[in-house]
This record gives sequence, C-alpha cells and structure tokens, in this order.
Amino acid sequence: MGLLERLAADGVMPNIAARIEAGHLRSMRASLPEISSVSWTSFMTGANPGTHGIFGFTDLNPGTYALEFPDFSRVEVPTLWDRLGRRGLQSIVLNQPSTYPARTIPGVLVSGFVAIDLSRSVKPLKWLGTLRRQDYRIDVDTARARGDHDWLFQDLEYTLQSRAAALGRLWQEEDWDYLQVVITGTDRLYHYLWDAVVDPTHPRHEQAIDYHRQVDRFVGQVWSRFADESDDPESHFWMLSDHGFCAIEQEVQLNALLRETGHLRLGSGATELADIERETQAFALDPSRLYVHSQGRFARGSVSAEKRAAVKRELADALHALRYHGRPVIRDVLDAADLYEGPCAEHGPDLVALAHPGFDLKASPTASEVFSRTDLVGMHTWDDAFLLAPYPIEGEELWIGDIAAHLEREFEH
Amino acid sequence: MKGFTLWFTGLSGSGKSTLAQAIEPVLLERGVMVEILDGDEVRTNLSKGLGFSKEDRDTNVRRIGFVANLLSRNEVVAITAAISPYKSVRDEIRARTANFVEVYTECSIEKLTERDPKGLYKKALAGEIANFTGVSDPYEAPENAEIVVNTEQESLEESLDKIVRSLELMGLIPPGEDNHTSPEEEVVIRERLQALGYL
Repeated sequence: MGLLERLAADGVMPNIAARIEAGHLRSMRASLPEISSVSWTSFMTGANPGTHGIFGFTDLNPGTYALEFPDFSRVEVPTLWDRLGRRGLQSIVLNQPSTYPARTIPGVLVSGFVAIDLSRSVKPLKWLGTLRRQDYRIDVDTARARGDHDWLFQDLEYTLQSRAAALGRLWQEEDWDYLQVVITGTDRLYHYLWDAVVDPTHPRHEQAIDYHRQVDRFVGQVWSRFADESDDPESHFWMLSDHGFCAIEQEVQLNALLRETGHLRLGSGATELADIERETQAFALDPSRLYVHSQGRFARGSVSAEKRAAVKRELADALHALRYHGRPVIRDVLDAADLYEGPCAEHGPDLVALAHPGFDLKASPTASEVFSRTDLVGMHTWDDAFLLAPYPIEGEELWIGDIAAHLEREFEH
Repeated sequence: MKGFTLWFTGLSGSGKSTLAQAIEPVLLERGVMVEILDGDEVRTNLSKGLGFSKEDRDTNVRRIGFVANLLSRNEVVAITAAISPYKSVRDEIRARTANFVEVYTECSIEKLTERDPKGLYKKALAGEIANFTGVSDPYEAPENAEIVVNTEQESLEESLDKIVRSLELMGLIPPGEDNHTSPEEEVVIRERLQALGYL
C-alpha cells in the first residue's frame, strides 16, 4: 500500500479516500529520469523525451560545456492544452511545473517550478494583477525551507492557500473545458521531511500529517465544486503524481564514480563540467544521465564512433558492479536508444541509470565520494507514481506520457 | 522613457476598459509609469455634474485629454477609456498632446446588442435611454487611428498583443523580453535546484 492509500485509509485524507473509492487507483511509471521537468513535460505533451526534448533540469552546451537550463521555449511540440484549443476548448492550468516562461495557451496558464518572476509566469497577462493582489505564491522558498522547517510548514500552508484562492478566481471568471492544478508542496515536504511523514515518532510527524489534511481539504473543495457544476463528475475527475517517493539511504554521486573508473577527467580545482579534459570518456548530468564524451558531439569529445558502444558497456558494467555494503545500487542501466525516440533523441544522454529505492543518484561535478548523505531525506522513485482514473486502465507499462491521450479522449464524446 | 497617451475610443461595450486594464500590467512590466483615466471614475471626480449632452460630453472628453497630456508630458503613460464619440474633439486633443496614440476598438452594433451585459443597448433601442452613442447619438469612428482592434473577431489576447506590438514598433515601449530564461534567472534556478538536492 502506498502512502496515498495509507493516508486515505487512516482517515487523514477522507476526500481522497472517497475519490479512490469511486475511481480506479493504480501505480504507473514516471519518466526516466524520474524528475519533475521530464515527467511533467511528458505528461503535458503526451510525448517521449526524444520528441519533446526535455531530458532533465539541465543540459550541457556541447560547444562551451556550460550548464544550461532548458526552459519551456525548448518544448516545441504542442501541449495537451494546445491540442484541446484546436478543438475550440479552453484550459485553466495552474502551477504546471516546467512551463516557464509561460507562453500563450488557449485559456490560462500559470507556470510552476522553476518559475521565478510571476509576471513571466502568467498568460494571459490580464491575470497578473489579480494574482499579485492575492499574493499568489508560485512555490515555497525552498532555499530557506530546507534548513528552517518551521518556515517550511508556514510556507507550505500559505502557498496552498494562495493556490486555492487563485484557483477559485480562475474557476469563477474563466470559461473552461479542462482544468488542472498541480500541488507541489508534498514534493518539498518529502524531500526535506519524508521521515516525519512515515515515522509516527518523529517530532514533526503531526505537522507533516496535518499538511496532508490541508491538501485533502483542497482536493475536497475542488471535487465538490466540480461535482456541483458537472453532469457526470465521477467520469471526468483525474488525479496523478509525476513520480513516487521513498526514503534516501545514500546519495550516490555518479561523477565521483566516473572519476574512480577513469572515465571522467576534470582539471584540478574544477567546479563545473566546463573544466572537462579532452581525455574524458564520459560524464553524468543530474540525476542519472550518462553521456559518452563523443567526437563530433562535444567540442573536446574524445570517443570515436567506433568506441562509443564499448564505452557504454564499460559504464553499464561499472554501474552494475556498484555495491553499498554488499548490496547492488543500480537496478538497471537503460540505453537511450531503447528509451527515447524522436527528433530530439540525439540531444539526450547515452545511458540512464535506474537505482534501487534508497539510492538517490546525483551528478555533482565536484563530489569526491561516491556515497554520502546530506540533510535531504526523501527521493523520487520511478515505477510507483499514482494514477487515479475514472475508468480502469490496463497495462503494466503505463507511464505518465500516456495520460494526455486519455484526457483528450474525454472530449471526443 | 517617453510618456504617451493611449486613447481608446469605441462604442460602449466594445472592450475599451477591458483592454485598458489588460495592458496596464504589460506596460508596468516594461518599466513605464501608467495611469488609467477610467471613464466612470473621471465622471465621478473630474467631471462630476456633467451630463450626456453633446456639449457636456465634449467638455468631459476635453478634461480627460487635458489630464492625459499633463501625465504624458511627464513621462507617464496615460490610458483613457472614454467613448469619446466625436472626431473633432479627439483631433483637438491629438493636436495638443505629445505622443497621442489612438486605439479604435471596433465592434458592430449587432454584436454589442448581442453582448449587452447591462441591457443598455436593448433599452436604448427601445427608446428608454436618450443620447445613447451608436443608437440615438452619433459615434464618429476614427479614420486614421494608430491602432485598430476588432474586438468582434479578435480574442482579448490577440487585441492586446496587437496593441503591444504596435507600441513596440513605434518605439514608445521597449521590446518585450523573449520567451527564454535570462542569465539572472538562471542564477536563481540554480539555487532552487540546489535546494532540492540537484547540481
């Protein structure tokens, strides 16, 4: 039983319990890597990363080796809301991660993480004034919240309330056919205090559980308003997550591993992959993407086309061999050729590592130890994102990128 | 930064006030100071006591023009949203106002009657409201407005974009930022990602 079902069964989330009772709850796969930017972009486009072009929060410029932060402008395929718009349907999309800077959609878009400036997060701009007057919060102040958990809980509550207020106004004043709101507070809470959520003896357990009550009330408000206004609400209400969560046992630094194996060479005192040396055969980008330093792809690339497959095998072998106290760390190493398809696939990684739960893969260029711990306690998981659908959806390999097509079909009747 | 007067003119219900409100945040974002001289507010304050005869309407519009000119010559963008039905008065204000930009919100009487959220057109057509512009009082559409938006055919967003693009082309507002994250924003994104354990 997953956390959502447990909290529903325990009476913490009665509104969600009612939705689970009425709908069809199942697990599904997130994207690979299982992080918000990739998973949500897959959700909103219904496409594979090889098609939508987002492989992580960061990319490495192949010419300068500077770290880049792919934004919404890089997503050139139409979103679900664009496609609905072609049928004359309007969407309200509130707090959608990875849509910054916001662009015009048929309806209203308010971008979520990593949105910075509200004035660039809202389309159409006529909503900016209202959101500012409501003191709308895009996200909690993660930099502060990570070290100040009193602040975290205050900010989580305030942000959720401001989200509810914004949703209320949008709902009231816009004509819409499709409405979507993303709750990101749970992700922040789990990264910083997963142990408090799952451990009843944790001093902040009650606070963590109480936040779930707040989220449940919010879901309850959304549901009851939807039920009041819809002829057949049960058939059109969906909930999902962009990944699962579990406790971190160890953080695993892939670039530290690649240094140990001799695949990665960085200049002394290097702080960025910009200082990568020509002899480098491979490097990693957060959280679990491995790139062969190929000739013709990277300015200082040293691996010829003939040797690329061999380097990939070496990397996969090194990852499979990685042990922590005798236990394997890596569950699978996936070849990008099997994972990604589409015109952008060539810009993605060569391999993606999938860790066993508890081993949180990272790719800091400066980490010297493969295994370490920080104050973070929760990590994403791949194959236990949840989907609560109005009808049963079969298939072991269901993934988040499949859902947009189901949502579109809702409007065919 | 130059001030200018953005003078919306058009029939009642054609979208003047809606567009005036919608463009305000866009202009603020471009770093200009903005004041909206809303028709109703002006009538409550600056033009209290004036009626709807041609003479009173002209006086009302001239007063709005006077204040708009004061604002725009002091580097403020003055946005007006009064019907301002008579061409001669609009031209008079244009002649004495630096950077006068006329925006005509075009919309047919048929469409306005169909929209008619306050039922005003219905009443005017039934003869219950005297001097109602477009029905029982003339509206002289601009012949050379700098910007024409057709609110019957365009969405609010389309009309807004058209006005903003025109102001950019006239050099009255700086070009908008493109749709990419800026280097300054990337610094913040980096911090946020680090706070969640990345990088």
